[in-house]
Amino acid sequence: MAIPTHETSHATPDSVLWQPEVEAHDDLAARTLGFWLYMMSDALLFAGLFAAYGVLDHAYNTAGGPGARQIVHPLDGFWQTLAVMTSVFAFSLATVAMKMRSRPGVILYTSIALVLGLVFIGLEIADFRALIAQGAGPDRSGFLSAFFVLIATHGLHMVFGILWMLVMIVQVARSGFTEHIVARLLNLRLFWQFQASVWVCVYAFVYLRGAF
Amino acid sequence: MAAHSRDPLTHPEVRQATTGGYAAGYGVSVILMLGALLITQQHVLAYPTFLWLISSLVVLSLFSQAALFFGLGLSPVQAWKSVSLILALPLFVFTIGLSVWMFNSLYPRTMPAMNMNTSQPTLLQ
Repeated sequence: MAIPTHETSHATPDSVLWQPEVEAHDDLAARTLGFWLYMMSDALLFAGLFAAYGVLDHAYNTAGGPGARQIVHPLDGFWQTLAVMTSVFAFSLATVAMKMRSRPGVILYTSIALVLGLVFIGLEIADFRALIAQGAGPDRSGFLSAFFVLIATHGLHMVFGILWMLVMIVQVARSGFTEHIVARLLNLRLFWQFQASVWVCVYAFVYLRGAF
Repeated sequence: MAAHSRDPLTHPEVRQATTGGYAAGYGVSVILMLGALLITQQHVLAYPTFLWLISSLVVLSLFSQAALFFGLGLSPVQAWKSVSLILALPLFVFTIGLSVWMFNSLYPRTMPAMNMNTSQPTLLQ
């Protein structure tokens, strides 16, 4: 009885993606798919927070404190939307510059994305400080706890994205486009674009629905 | 491995980046959210209509981002990401939808003495 053998000469990157140490193993695709699956689980974390917010966004849970209508400002939230979207666009352009083999382009657009990310965080912190100064902090009611946790969890993701960008600027400047650095830039692109998708949901269901 | 010796910048996921696609994704997302903001500020729609309209704009925005930012599709490079997203979508709907639905009738049943005339509708109302 003949023993089956791997026909690597006819292999394509897809057919042998999960066979280690074969000629056409696609390491970059495996890395981005792995990170994508991590982001799907991260999205479920946000689903849990949205569920908690949906349950606690009720007059019973305000404990006599302000409800959504009193604390959200859709126009202010739109400036945050513009900041995060423009930041994502800028970092996406950084990956276009990577395709063009332009180190200065990657560093420039990543820096722009980083600054806009800081603008977003600055607006969020100012919003939080104003609410806390009014006595509407996260410990005021169950509703406000859910509000702060949902918004701050997204903000924390933005902070980690900004730190990741700082690291990538240094690595691209020092080492150029090695396979490891390209994989990290591709994963950072997925991560940063994911923040825009989450923010669209936050903006619509917290800021806009809250202002109805 | 041979793949490691190849130029990583020739990889399909690097080559998929296009200025036009990203600009379109950015423009569509910003315009849809601006439209949602204007609808909210006019205060002319009934709550169910408002919620359906806002939700539709969000879904359109997410679709445009999936196609134009993430570049998802049926190509061999992106197929498994598309499949995993499609399989994860029901989990989001169940997590959020069922939680809100389960608690929707809890307050009237457990806290009947409290005032039910709330000034702001809940997600299901």
